[in-house]
Amino acid sequence: MAEMWISMGPQHPMTHGLWTLKVKVDGETIVDADPELGYLHRSVEKMGERRKYFMNTTLTDRLCYASSTTWTHCYVNTVEELMKVEVPQRAKYIRTIMLELQRLASHLMWAGAYMPDLGHITGALYFWRDRELFLNLLEAPSGSRLLYNYIRIGGVKRDLPDGFEAKTERVMKLFEQRLDEYADLFENSKIFRMRTEDVGKFTASQAQNLGITGPNLRGCGTKFDLRKHDAYEIYDEVDWDIQTREAGPGYGDCFSRYMVRIDEMKESVRIIRDCFKKMPAGPTLASQIPVRAQGEAFRRTEDSRGEALMYVVGDGSDRPYRWKIKSPMFTTISACPHYLKGYKVADIPAIMGSIDICIGETDK
Amino acid sequence: MSLFSFCKWMAEWTAQKMLIPIFEFQEGLFPPFTNPAGSIADWLGTDGGITTLAWLYAVNIAFAVGMTNLILVIHLERKIAARIQDRRGPMLSFRSFRELGEDLAGSAPSWKFKENYAGIGILQNLADGIKAIAKELIVPAKADKFLFTMGPIIFISSSVFLLVLFPLSDRFAASSAPAGLMVIMAAFSIAPIGVLTSGWASNNKYSMIGGMRSAAQLMSYEIPLLLSMAGVFLMAGSYDPVVIVEQQQASSWFFGIPIWNFIPQFIGFIVFMICILAEVERVPFDLPEAEAELVEGWTTEYSGIRYMFFLMAEYIRGFAGAAVATILFLGGWAGPWPIPPEIWFLTKVYLIIIFWIFIRWSVPRIRTDQILELGWKKLLPLSLINLLIVIFMVEIYPYFSEIVSLPEVF
Repeated sequence: MAEMWISMGPQHPMTHGLWTLKVKVDGETIVDADPELGYLHRSVEKMGERRKYFMNTTLTDRLCYASSTTWTHCYVNTVEELMKVEVPQRAKYIRTIMLELQRLASHLMWAGAYMPDLGHITGALYFWRDRELFLNLLEAPSGSRLLYNYIRIGGVKRDLPDGFEAKTERVMKLFEQRLDEYADLFENSKIFRMRTEDVGKFTASQAQNLGITGPNLRGCGTKFDLRKHDAYEIYDEVDWDIQTREAGPGYGDCFSRYMVRIDEMKESVRIIRDCFKKMPAGPTLASQIPVRAQGEAFRRTEDSRGEALMYVVGDGSDRPYRWKIKSPMFTTISACPHYLKGYKVADIPAIMGSIDICIGETDK
Repeated sequence: MSLFSFCKWMAEWTAQKMLIPIFEFQEGLFPPFTNPAGSIADWLGTDGGITTLAWLYAVNIAFAVGMTNLILVIHLERKIAARIQDRRGPMLSFRSFRELGEDLAGSAPSWKFKENYAGIGILQNLADGIKAIAKELIVPAKADKFLFTMGPIIFISSSVFLLVLFPLSDRFAASSAPAGLMVIMAAFSIAPIGVLTSGWASNNKYSMIGGMRSAAQLMSYEIPLLLSMAGVFLMAGSYDPVVIVEQQQASSWFFGIPIWNFIPQFIGFIVFMICILAEVERVPFDLPEAEAELVEGWTTEYSGIRYMFFLMAEYIRGFAGAAVATILFLGGWAGPWPIPPEIWFLTKVYLIIIFWIFIRWSVPRIRTDQILELGWKKLLPLSLINLLIVIFMVEIYPYFSEIVSLPEVF
């Protein structure tokens, strides 16, 4: 068969959002790839310049539909640094719990979306069934299931409800049991490994050069996590380890990325448990929150998908003068020709699914 | 009484009581030579006419039985898949009819059913059929219209043909060709032509890749499939399903319990089960319509009843594949006495189908190069090994046992 371009998207089962992947194939082998982004551009940064600082949390919630709390947190963290707000200790613990619950929900969303990419529809329903449990937990303090708007400048919206710890513990116990059950269905399954091992490989140095961060980078064996290396909230006070895959044959492929995320979910459960153990009493919102800000600040946080960075400039008014968002997925998707070339057409959903695409934050 | 003698009795009865009087009455209305009714009546009176009519009845009965089973298989697939996935599956109930009636009439109807009456989710198939018929048949602007229309016809006709080819028991058979299983496999291998035709004619890159994949897959799996069947044919010495089942029933190893083919030819059984899964394109091997990368593969451009034909044909092929596996390796309709052989046969077929459904909803899909590698590098040698074992059992060991008087084992 002659070489030809196939346009996958903007509406295609593989894309998980609105974007186009143009692939040049020779028979079934990928020769070249060209991602096209921008279908979902909502000019969030420019919209933010017209709104007051505290209003922008509604926009940041909508940056990523699978992981909205982490983005709101990144923005709030940046603005707090700009305004020099001191956050109460209890609020920091609650934030950490919410961030980790959100990470669990986001990773489960990814795992559920990844399975149909491999032709395994049952997996989607299993993981999304578990995601419901964590959405219920996120709903309990915030009152909504998708766009929480829970983390506010200076703290959180309200304290955790009664019995939240017991409820969380019950869910986490059930979830850990279920993860062990799923191991036989997925990571110990021969066909699953055939589809994911040695597919979509990139090395650690390649990933660093291409700007790939987050679980995708840790899947290559690089021990880099902003929760440890640029610790925010109380990540340096609780017990947890960075989850990576050992460098060796087969690392840096789809399977290692899958395993990193599964291990991260287990680690998130550990963080939440430790947070509940160490959580102090006290207020959950700073007493004095300024409205205006002057100067510039940037913070980077570990989003579910990688390194989220926000840069805010204040000119002394109650609205940001400039607001810049750096999305982890934008760089990862842009690098896709590097890790798609040489694989088969059937590997495209396996590879592009494994990097956990969220177009909302990519196109902003 | 066999199906055919029943049909012959029915044909005689209908011909004498209904058809011949009607045609004779018509003959009386018009003068002869302008009206063939009289000669049709004469022909129906002969033995050939009755036999033709009987075959027509037999084929129709087999077709009806096959289609009924098709509906059951689709329902079973949906229900078991739903249970595996922690769902309920199709749960259409009389209550929903009532709500529909309320919507249409604007008030509650006078007739009442038990609340929450569940268990007729099988009507979902009916609803799907009506929906498919009601939808527009879209032909893409730059498609090859003739081939685009022919694709589904080739696929569905070769699949429906399968339904009347396999017997449900030695008495319930619409066809009794001595080369029965060869005819079935020939009918199985017509389908790739339809797939390739529709994939090419759609003028869509996804369809074309899907069609190519399907052709490559079906062609490479045909060889180990037929080789694993060859062992059974060698053992029975015939292509006839009836002879094959009788041979399995006759071969008793210990205490009079028949040893069906799946024990002496275990390798062949495994190879056959994998190959027939690839042949009917079920999940680990359903890459021609891999929805993740190829949208819907070679059925992407089809709509309405044409798309429904493809879906239906896949289930028919699955049913026929399970039936062939039952005849070849699981003793066909043989089973203890009180249960009729047709029920035994269908029980075994349904067990295989349920096994497939479990596989379908618990494994991911394999890649094209992997499936071809599996076919050519693993299954083909394994089927040849199976054939060698059978040759040893059937030909070499008996030959030497006569010379050096070995005990009779096989």
